[in-house]
Amino acid sequence: MNNSTHFTSAVTWVAIVTAILLSPASFAGAQQSAATDDIVHAANAFLSSLSTEQRQQVQYAFNDAKQRARWSNLPIGFVPRGGISLKQMSPPQREAAMKLLATVLSPMGLEKVNEIREADDDVKTNGRGPGGRGGPPPGGPGGPGGRPPVSRDDMFGSDLYYISFLGTPSITDPWMLQFGGHHLALNITIIGSQGVLTPTLTGAQPATFQLNGKTIRPLGRESDKGLALLNSLEPKQRSRAVLDYAVADLVLGPGLDDKKIAPEGLKASALDARQQAMLLDLIAEWAGIMNESSSADRMAQIKADLNETWFAWSGPTSGQAGSNITAYYRIQGPHLVIEYAPQHDAPANHVHTIYRDPTNDYGRALTKP
Amino acid sequence: MALVALALLSGKSACAHRIDEYLQATILSLQADRVQASMRLIPGILVSPSVTAAIDSNGDGVLSQVEQRAYARRVLGDLSIMIDGKSVSPKLISWSFPQPDQMRDGIGEIRIEYSVELPSGGTHRTLVLANHHLSRTSVYLMNVLVPQDRNIRLLAQKRNEQQSLYELDYQQMAAGDARSGTSWGGPRTWLNGVQFLSLFHLGMRHIAEGTDHLLFLLTLLLAAPLLVSGSRWGPAAGARHSLLRILGIVTAFTMGHSITLSLAAWGLVRVPEQPVEVLIAGSIFVSALHALRPIFPGKEAWIAGFFGLIHGLAFAATLERLGLGHWDRAAGILAFNLGIETMQLLVIAVALPLLMLMSTMRAYPVIRIGGAACAAAASVGWMVERLFDIGTPVDAIVNALARHAFWIVIIGLLAALACRFLPASRAGRASEPGMAQLLE
Repeated sequence: MNNSTHFTSAVTWVAIVTAILLSPASFAGAQQSAATDDIVHAANAFLSSLSTEQRQQVQYAFNDAKQRARWSNLPIGFVPRGGISLKQMSPPQREAAMKLLATVLSPMGLEKVNEIREADDDVKTNGRGPGGRGGPPPGGPGGPGGRPPVSRDDMFGSDLYYISFLGTPSITDPWMLQFGGHHLALNITIIGSQGVLTPTLTGAQPATFQLNGKTIRPLGRESDKGLALLNSLEPKQRSRAVLDYAVADLVLGPGLDDKKIAPEGLKASALDARQQAMLLDLIAEWAGIMNESSSADRMAQIKADLNETWFAWSGPTSGQAGSNITAYYRIQGPHLVIEYAPQHDAPANHVHTIYRDPTNDYGRALTKP
Repeated sequence: MALVALALLSGKSACAHRIDEYLQATILSLQADRVQASMRLIPGILVSPSVTAAIDSNGDGVLSQVEQRAYARRVLGDLSIMIDGKSVSPKLISWSFPQPDQMRDGIGEIRIEYSVELPSGGTHRTLVLANHHLSRTSVYLMNVLVPQDRNIRLLAQKRNEQQSLYELDYQQMAAGDARSGTSWGGPRTWLNGVQFLSLFHLGMRHIAEGTDHLLFLLTLLLAAPLLVSGSRWGPAAGARHSLLRILGIVTAFTMGHSITLSLAAWGLVRVPEQPVEVLIAGSIFVSALHALRPIFPGKEAWIAGFFGLIHGLAFAATLERLGLGHWDRAAGILAFNLGIETMQLLVIAVALPLLMLMSTMRAYPVIRIGGAACAAAASVGWMVERLFDIGTPVDAIVNALARHAFWIVIIGLLAALACRFLPASRAGRASEPGMAQLLE
């Protein structure tokens, strides 16, 4: 009896000590620089696959404010992006570009990016019925009649996403990688071992579609987890969180950098531990787009701010997991703004979201001397 | 559906743009002597022709500088802005317009910057902004930046459903106060005189606008000047008796809500809001019953004290929403409570003479029973509303009445005076024995 108790506690201690030694924290420094090493390596591999002319097209000065702000939810036909698109690349170049993204982003982040691009393919081939709930593509599969007009090809498609660099990839000096197109704008600033993803825009229309017999919802977890958090609230918490007015669109969309609006709704300090975990899990849908080491740093910061973080909801409070909400919500903390804004034309099927750090958009807090 | 089809026909996909809405987003920034506002106006595809036509007044397809300026002025002309209840006019600072083809595609963004000079005023300031510009097709966003100026502290934002009407309450300390504030460790670490005043104000406003609290107290006072005769209310007692009893009730109510307000504000008591609100509505019903028939004669003060405990919990909820720090709390409770007391005393000071005058009138039973019935009806409406989350017109009616309380009181007072003194004291004297007979 005694022996076995001793044995159990000894095993427990060994396990704890091992866990501490192997914990990511003790290797954080090494891992992070390894991550930046990998990213710089992948970036240089991509750049060296380009022709001289292409390389000139993708490179901007680090302080090029115009290129930095050249992003939008709109298709490239309306707001031309800088850099070069996947469409303009040869297959090996495209492969190098995707390899770079896979190094910078987490698997979850890459999947989200790819699903947003696939939604744009869906637009191109299937067009868009009212509310996006249109049936099979016109002309049917294989039918020659369904060929979209040429202008559509230049407007939509998973290859119309652009890559650009501000500054030169470096493991010490700050530089930026941008990747974006319709409904997507990743603005990634790398400063030494740190990677900053703000500001980033994700969006989707259709926000639910079929691909190879599978239902795809590029921002489905954002909808489901937001709704689950709302549903977890007690009536008193809920009455604080649910705003009594409509929010028609993103308040801090493209172009509205560094703005700290007065927060509203329910303060996360009024949430219990389970609800706080749900809120963090929801935030991770944006913060977790970046590779693991950058995401972990960011989530630690957000967790430390949690008591000063607010959750506000506007619009219908009913909904079902698995189908997109038609309500707006906002999460705001000292270093965080997230907005989820269904669009008026097809609320359940067209959504824009923004992810910001008003104190550190484009890594400004870290790049300023 | 038709709109979407129309947009599709326009040659470009309906996605990614606004269609039939005109988005008007405003972000305000508060400064010591002015409010700066930046507006972004984005007309959807179907709205843009009419907006473009409104800008391009000569119809030449070009948005000239003169036309741009005129439109920006028109937008500002469609705003109404009030600061501390005074109307102020915005000053145009700058504007920029997109190309006409961007407008046509529903992606053009008009930007207008304007400012409003702040008239000098107190520490508790209220800004009201209404945007009437093309309201039929517009959707609005209204927000305020977290103030850079540490002397400015936001208190509350209110909006109508579409956000076309926006009210911002904030607190502004004078520069002098701020300097002394920072010298003792930052203006937020200790509640200084200015904040004290502002919380005092808030307490006054809370009781003035929280009609349910006042209704409870006033209903309880309806029968206070009367004597009991059997199981019914009898004639008016003397002035001294009435006065003492009314003061007793008011003091007990104050003591009751002060106790729970303090306990709850310190976090020693925590009660969910909904049952408290229901009980408050219920308390009005109880005092209305008492005004009809004496159910606890002579014990009004105890009842007032008991329900005061419950009303205090609701006051605490308001205070909690302000998010006062621990050090601010003691002074905050005091200031807030003093504000409540002052407003309550003001109301009593007006109601008391009216009540004493009316209580000797022949028609007083009608007033008392009518008042009690109205209070009971309001209380039932509120209880239903608060229990089942069903909208009733009670709030709207009571608030409309409360807004005209001043005139109602004046008219009541004049009527009472007229009855008492005008048709000679004959009528009054005659009524007293008559009433006594009636009740015997």
